[in-house]
Amino acid sequence: MNQTRPGPLQYVVLALLAIVFLYPIWWAVSSSLKPAADIIADPLSIGALTLDNYRAMFADVPIGTGFANTALVLVVRGAMTMFFCPLAGYAFAKYDFPGKNLLFGVVLLTLMLPTLVLIIPLLLEMSALGWVNTYQALILPGSIDAFSIFWMRQTIAAIPDELIDAGRVDGAGEFGIFARVVLPVIRPGLAALAVLTTMNVYNDFVWPVVAVNDTAHQTLQVVLSTLAQNVTGNRIGADFATVWGELLAAGSIAMLPLLVIFVLLQRHFINGILAGSVKG
Amino acid sequence: MSLARLDRTFLRSTRLSPYLFIAPFFVVFGAFGIYPLIYALQLSFMRWRGAGEAHWVGAGNYLYLLTSPEFWASLGNSAVMWLLIVPIQVMAGLGGAVLLANAKLRLRGLFRVAFIAPFVTPLVAMAQVWIVVFDQDYGLVNYLLNLVGLPDVGWLTSTAWSKPTLALLFLWKTTGFAIIILLAGLQAVPGGVYEAAALDGASRWRQFWSITVPLVRRSMAFLVVVQTLAVFQMFAEPFVVTEGGPYGSTTTAGLYLYEHITASDLGTGAANSFLLVLLVFGLSLVSVRLLRPKDEVS
Repeated sequence: MNQTRPGPLQYVVLALLAIVFLYPIWWAVSSSLKPAADIIADPLSIGALTLDNYRAMFADVPIGTGFANTALVLVVRGAMTMFFCPLAGYAFAKYDFPGKNLLFGVVLLTLMLPTLVLIIPLLLEMSALGWVNTYQALILPGSIDAFSIFWMRQTIAAIPDELIDAGRVDGAGEFGIFARVVLPVIRPGLAALAVLTTMNVYNDFVWPVVAVNDTAHQTLQVVLSTLAQNVTGNRIGADFATVWGELLAAGSIAMLPLLVIFVLLQRHFINGILAGSVKG
Repeated sequence: MSLARLDRTFLRSTRLSPYLFIAPFFVVFGAFGIYPLIYALQLSFMRWRGAGEAHWVGAGNYLYLLTSPEFWASLGNSAVMWLLIVPIQVMAGLGGAVLLANAKLRLRGLFRVAFIAPFVTPLVAMAQVWIVVFDQDYGLVNYLLNLVGLPDVGWLTSTAWSKPTLALLFLWKTTGFAIIILLAGLQAVPGGVYEAAALDGASRWRQFWSITVPLVRRSMAFLVVVQTLAVFQMFAEPFVVTEGGPYGSTTTAGLYLYEHITASDLGTGAANSFLLVLLVFGLSLVSVRLLRPKDEVS
């Protein structure tokens, strides 16, 4: 781009944009720390800080269960993605085998399959298996995804063949080469994959809301959406303010983990986002 | 079989191991991708309400949908959402990317964090914030309007404003993503091109249209395809914020599909899924074709 020094106008525009993007988050978090009645009476004030909304929310909303379920799904799905996707990507990047192009074609084709088309038949499959309201229903469908395989294939293809052949000469088995030669080399790619997978699983909503309808298995996002539905049905006086306070407290606490990860691991996040666009 | 033996027989064989390495994907995809897909195709030709006997109805579900005003209304709602979102996002994304691309910009990292932060927040949590902020009686936005003497607006309760308010949530959440994608495209443009153009007397505006835009076409095409897919599958925003209302004005294609599940009308739902997939495929192909860089031959 033009390398002229940016003028004050450019900074003003950027700062305004930054405010537009950050203000809703700031408003939600700061309002969740105010007395519930003030959220409605004086939405701009930042007065006395209180944890009342959080106390009420923890008492009324099964958010702990939501966090625990999301954590469980995240750990298992994350481990599956982090292991099986680079493994398959390695096979597609560094081996020649009959049927390879056809099979990789299938992987690419599933990239274009919209999630929505599978929702209804998957739900029926889950009920036929007796898996509605189970963890395996939340974890297994889509757990080894085509996009991550494609991405890992691109990453691993960049490793020089000599490095892999050297491992073979040293007598490592095929899996040994993957574990001891390939994985250490692609560590930055794996970090980006981990961060992006965490974001996707944590924020996943459509499938969990369909696959689970009991409180015991609800993920965090499903717990939040149930809370939102209470608001629409409850618009009377002081109760209303209380519900808003709980809503904002729950939303703020749900945003926190990813925002912290994002600020700490920015570079991996951006690499993860960009990985999708290079396939062009 | 012991692990050592497994390693000898399979993992040391260059011929077998790649199949073993890709097998897990195909097992999961077969069980939770291909099987339900074939089942859905079959189901789309049946009348079945989730219980009792299924009847073969041929193209009946498809014909029902194609002649149903509600089906077309859901597509219409999504099309309006698309118009409210995609053009604005491409322009705002390009603007933001051009501002950020300047190497002499200070605080660039800080701006970048601010722009992407919404993309990282859970959609459901932000949808809740939208309910509160755009509430007609007690919301922050109407409070601010009242402060400057303007009347309340039914952001989520009037059919005129419900779509723009949801579109704003989508734009707020994903424009940072657009900026990052387009910024990567911009940074691939060699700086020398601009110096040459400046020497030839091309104005800044001229440089933007003749150099920047053509060079980021590939990133723009990617962005448009991804966001077209996302807009036509939009579900969580209307599901949480408006429940499809008022008067069905925010019942998007994605939400309408879900309503077949709630109504236990699964055959129609399956047919609706396939119609939606065809539409989304068609739209993606058209966008790729329109935005393909001119020097590329088809």
